[in-house]
Parts: sequence; C-alpha cells; structure tokens
Amino acid sequence: MAESKLANTIAKERVADLAQRNGEPTWLKDARLAAWEIYLQSPMPTARDDDWRKTEIDNIDLSTFITTDPLTNKAAKAPTMELVQSAIEKLGEPAGIFVDDYSVSQSQFSSVNTDLAKQGVIFMPLIEAIEKHPELVKKIFEQGTASSDDDKFTLMNKALFNSGLLLYVPKNVVIEAPFVSAVNLPVGKTNHAVFPRVFVATEANSQVTLVSIFSDASDNTDVNGTTLSNSIFEITVGAGAKVTVMTVDKLSKQVFAVNRVRTHLHRDGVLNLTTAGLGGKQIKSVIETVMVEQGASSDIRGVVLGDGSEHYSYNTIQKHTCPDTTSNINFRVALKDTSSSVYQGIVVVDKIAQRTAAFQSNKNLLLGTEARADSIPRLEILADDVKCSHGATVGPVDKEQLFYLNCRGLNLKEAEELIVRGFFVQILDGIEIKGAADWVGDLVAEKIYK
Amino acid sequence: MTSKNTSKSTAENTSEKVAPLLQIVDLHVSVEDKEILKGVNLTINAGEIHAIMGRNGSGKSTLSYALMGHPRYKVTSGKMLYKGQEVGEMSPDQRAKLGMALAFQYPVAIPGVSVSNFLRKTVNAVRGRDIPVKEFRLELKALMAKLGVKDEFLSRYVNDGFSGGEKKRLEILQLSMLKPLLAILDETDSGLDIDALKTVSEGINVMAQADTAVLLITHYQRMLNYVQPQFVHVFQDGKIVASGGKELALELEDRGYEWVTQESVDESASAQAKANSSSAAATPVGAK
Repeated sequence: MAESKLANTIAKERVADLAQRNGEPTWLKDARLAAWEIYLQSPMPTARDDDWRKTEIDNIDLSTFITTDPLTNKAAKAPTMELVQSAIEKLGEPAGIFVDDYSVSQSQFSSVNTDLAKQGVIFMPLIEAIEKHPELVKKIFEQGTASSDDDKFTLMNKALFNSGLLLYVPKNVVIEAPFVSAVNLPVGKTNHAVFPRVFVATEANSQVTLVSIFSDASDNTDVNGTTLSNSIFEITVGAGAKVTVMTVDKLSKQVFAVNRVRTHLHRDGVLNLTTAGLGGKQIKSVIETVMVEQGASSDIRGVVLGDGSEHYSYNTIQKHTCPDTTSNINFRVALKDTSSSVYQGIVVVDKIAQRTAAFQSNKNLLLGTEARADSIPRLEILADDVKCSHGATVGPVDKEQLFYLNCRGLNLKEAEELIVRGFFVQILDGIEIKGAADWVGDLVAEKIYK
Repeated sequence: MTSKNTSKSTAENTSEKVAPLLQIVDLHVSVEDKEILKGVNLTINAGEIHAIMGRNGSGKSTLSYALMGHPRYKVTSGKMLYKGQEVGEMSPDQRAKLGMALAFQYPVAIPGVSVSNFLRKTVNAVRGRDIPVKEFRLELKALMAKLGVKDEFLSRYVNDGFSGGEKKRLEILQLSMLKPLLAILDETDSGLDIDALKTVSEGINVMAQADTAVLLITHYQRMLNYVQPQFVHVFQDGKIVASGGKELALELEDRGYEWVTQESVDESASAQAKANSSSAAATPVGAK
C-alpha cells in the first residue's frame, strides 16, 4: 500500500499521480482535479451541521489516514468471504461476482456470465472499465460531475476514488439472477482510507439486480486503527427499466463508513433499493432519489440494527422534479446497548411535479435502555396536487407483545428476538430479490442473539 | 346454594398425596398500587372445567394475568400453587413450560411474524424439544381442520389485521398445539358469532377431553351451553363470592348478578371462612 498520507488538504500530485498510474484519459484526470479544487474550498463537516447531526466527525484526523492503492493482483477465483458464501446460498447462482479483498488475499476478482457479456452487459472493476470502455464510462461519468452541492467526503471520493465497479446493462436486456459485489475492507494497526465508486447504469427496458456487501475481516483484537470507507453509488434507471439494489454494511467497530447513493430515474423507471446497516463504528449514508421523468417510481427500504456504541446516520432525499412520479421510503431501526441513530428524511416536490405521491416512514425500536434514536422528517412541497405523508415513531419493544410471547413459552430474549425480526421482516418481505429477506433476516437474527 | 369450591378429582380420591393442579389461596393482587384481587380462593384439579363469571371490572381478567405472571400485576399476598409448587415468582415462560396457558381476551399482534413460524417456535419452546417439521405439520393441519382454520392463515402475521373471531380461533389453535395442563380462557367467547362460538367451544371440549383442566372466564352464560363446566364461580369485587355447579350459571342468567351480590353480603364472611378451611384440607401435602 502506498505511503502517501491523506491530509486535510490532499496533495494535488497525489490526485494526478493516481490518474497517471491508472492510465486514465485526460477528461477523467481533469474531473479528479476539478473535484479536488472544490474539495479544498469545502469546509470539513462537523456534528453541528444539520446533515451531520450527532455524527462525531470532528475527532477524525484525516491526516492520519493512508490511502489504499487500487488492487492490481487478480485472483483466479473469488476469494472466500463468509458473507458472499451465505448470500449465494440464499440468493442462488449470481449473474456475476465481484470481490475486492483488501484484507486477506489482497486481490481482486470479477466474473460475469458469458451469455450476458455477449449481450453487452458489463460487470467489472471501474478502473478496468475506464480502460476498456472509455467512451461509455465518460458518458456515464458526465451525469455525476463534481458540483458545489457535493460535500467534502463526496468530493474526496471524486478526487481519489481508487476502486469500485461498473455494472452496465444495455437496452432490453433482462437479468433475473442478482450480481453480487463485495468489498472486504483493510483493517489494521494504522488508519486506512478506501474510496470505492460504483456505477449502475441501465438502458431502456432493462432489468437488473445488484447485491453489494461491505465488510472487513477485523478480529477486534489488538488492532486499533480506523478505516474510512468513503463510497459513492451512482444508479441510473433507464426508461422503463427496473433496478433492484441491496447494500449491506456489516462492518467492525474499526470502520467509519461514509456512503453516498445517488439515483436518477427516467420515464417509468422503477427502483427498489434496500440498505442494511448491520455494523460499523459509524455509518453515515446519504441516499438521494431523483425522479427526473414522468412515471418514475422508487421504493427505498432501510434496515438498521445497532449494538455496542455504534452510530448510524441516514439522510434520505426524495426529489420529484416532474409530474406523475412516486417515491416511498420505509426505514426501520432497532438499537441495542448504547448505540444510536439519526434519521433525516426530506421530500422535495418541485412546483411542476403535480400528482406526486411521496411517502416516508421511520420507525425506531430502542432495545437498550441507553440507546437513542432521532427522527427528523421534512417536507418541501411546492406543487399543490400531491399525496405526501410522513411519520416517525421511537420507543421500546411493546411490553404486551413481550408478555404475549412469554406466555407462549419464549423467554424475554427469545421474545424480543422474534419481535425485532418481525419488525424487520415487514420491510424485508418487500424486497424483490428472491431469498434476500431470508438472508438479511438471518444476519439480523445473528446480531440480535449476539 | 352458594357453596365454596371443594371439588376433589378422581386423582385425589385414589391418591391422597397428589396436590391439586391449581390451588389459589387468599390471593391479593394489585395493579399500580390499587388492589384488584382481594382474597381469591380456588382449587382446580386435573381435567376439571371451571367457569368464573362476573361483571366487567370485577377482576376476572386480573386473575388470569396474575396466574400467568404479567409484570404489571403484583401479588401482594397469598399463594398460587401449581401442582403444589408456588409459581408466583416464576416468569410467564417458566409457567408456560410447566403447562399453564392463557387464551387472551385481546390477543396481541406480532407484525412480521408468520403464524406458522410463531406456532413452531412456541410449541418447541413449551414442549422443550424441536418437533420435526413433518410431524408438526401433520398435527397442525389436523387441528386446523377441526377448528375451521384455513391454510392461508399460516402465512399471515400473528393477529395482525385479524378479525375478533380469527384472533380467538388462533388462541384456541395455539392452546390446542401447546397442550397445557391448565388452560385459562379469558373471555374467549367475546366477539364471536354463533358459528365461531361453536367451533371454538368444540376445540375447548377436545382439549378438556384430553385431560386439560379449563378455567373459563366469561361475562355471559352463552358459552356454557357449549362448554359444560362442573364448577361455576361468581366473581365480585376481586374475589369469588359464590360457587356451585353449572346450574349456578343458569340461575345467574335468570336472576342477574344482583342476586348473588345481595346473598354474598350475608354469606361472604362465612363462605370465606369455609373456603379457607376447605382449601387447607384439600392441600394434603403441606405441598411445597
């Protein structure tokens, strides 16, 4: 791994060097440097900023992080990762597998079903895609050029991204089996930083599913370095396309994750996105769905289970910029011990976005007496013919539910486990990935029982 | 007419050493420092059917919650002996594992938990072993047929969006699977139409025939047309004020609770004294 340090002000040479070594085209190098310029001028967020409420970002000294270089060592077969195995067991044979293993084998692997490759489906490391499909990548990148709307971490990724992947699905290609991608993050004695950037680009009337896993191999002993995982997911849903994505963050107490998910939905496009936060020192995710053309419809689900002193912070943004679109957000959080969460959801309906239907629900179960959940919903509606609603609840497990189950022979722990699992199952049952509800349900149960 | 419950089961007749299935002695229970039960005495032997009748607010449901150990219901004095063992300090799940079960007046919804998953988990917990799936299915299907419960019921979330009748059917289905030695049925008849009442009653009778003792708590006499109790007790202001055979239920139907109330004013003191002495006599083994 390279010994260049990620200071609060990244060296310009570092950015240029990265582009150079990847053999990147000039436009991309320029895009990196443009992001870097804005990055320099952007303030470091603090826990006092609305968007970063209660996320202890202040005590992270970026100058102590070492940026991790792209993995160049190709593995002949997918490195063994428990989570990938269990996913495949429940979800069935995937359409393609991608693994970035920083932790154990220090290698990279990707494969895609050959029939799909023949149909023009691309599923490969982003760095490789830039080299092999420069025109396509350029087109896709242009949708996400750095802007002053980006926060410091987004810009940091845009300047320094060094991993990630491209999933591209051409027109009319319908793929039932899910693609599975996994990142095994580096953890150790020193602080590491990884910048994955993932593109899911779909053309008209296509259909695709991606399951993305972030984990690490920390054994939680004798290592006290922090790893920063700063990722961007950019998802484009083509006209009439259907995209189903599930992201699972199952990280150790050494990892601080900052994720930004941006989705654009075109005419009659359908997005079904589920995010599961099942571990990490701090997880900060901003999920933005923009309905850019009529008939678009997005369904976002969140499943968060915290324990120990974990902190989760989710911002969801539902943007309706044209008439006749629908968005639905359903976030459920259960917190054990002293873990905490902040959910901030905003629905934005532009003046022209008549007949918008936008719903938002956030329910929080406090399992630990010292656990804490904040829920801050917001509506910004300028159109006058809309159906919008939002609701939030925060509270402990219902005592009457516990008593009912106790009376049926389950002890308090067993009863609570069943109730919490049920709490999430209501969300998971809506995931349109066969076997996914079971798979995540098991991961949840594992953590409840722990 | 109004004599205290002094029943003796066949088991007791053959063996003096067997403690009654349930023996409640001078039980006082408070909810949030308000005393609701004010000295309940009741003895139930294996396989017997007892009905407790009384007005709303007389404390009938409190008795069922206290018997199962609801944390809000504090036993301030008295005894609850199950097979001679004090259960007052036990958690509800421990009591369930010993063979006590309550069919709730208002069954609680557990969203996200399917009826089939719930039944399997609870039946395994109570029976203390994992029943093979096939065996479990067979047993369940047979009972569902008897209780007129449709297959799609199994994939629905427990009591979530159920009608009153569906909830009560599920309660009886659960108890039939759990096979308790003591089934406490709290207003199981309320909210049932006549057809549902018949099927649910049939389910209770099947349990009773399989030697489950039944404590039927009800407001109306109508269920007793289908489930015939050997003993009927009238509950009033937190205690049993009158006991008798099933004819007592009919008399209540005719004359209303007022009649008992008046008589009990005169008799409660002596009935109470009798009850205490008789229940003491019915506890042959200073059972601990």
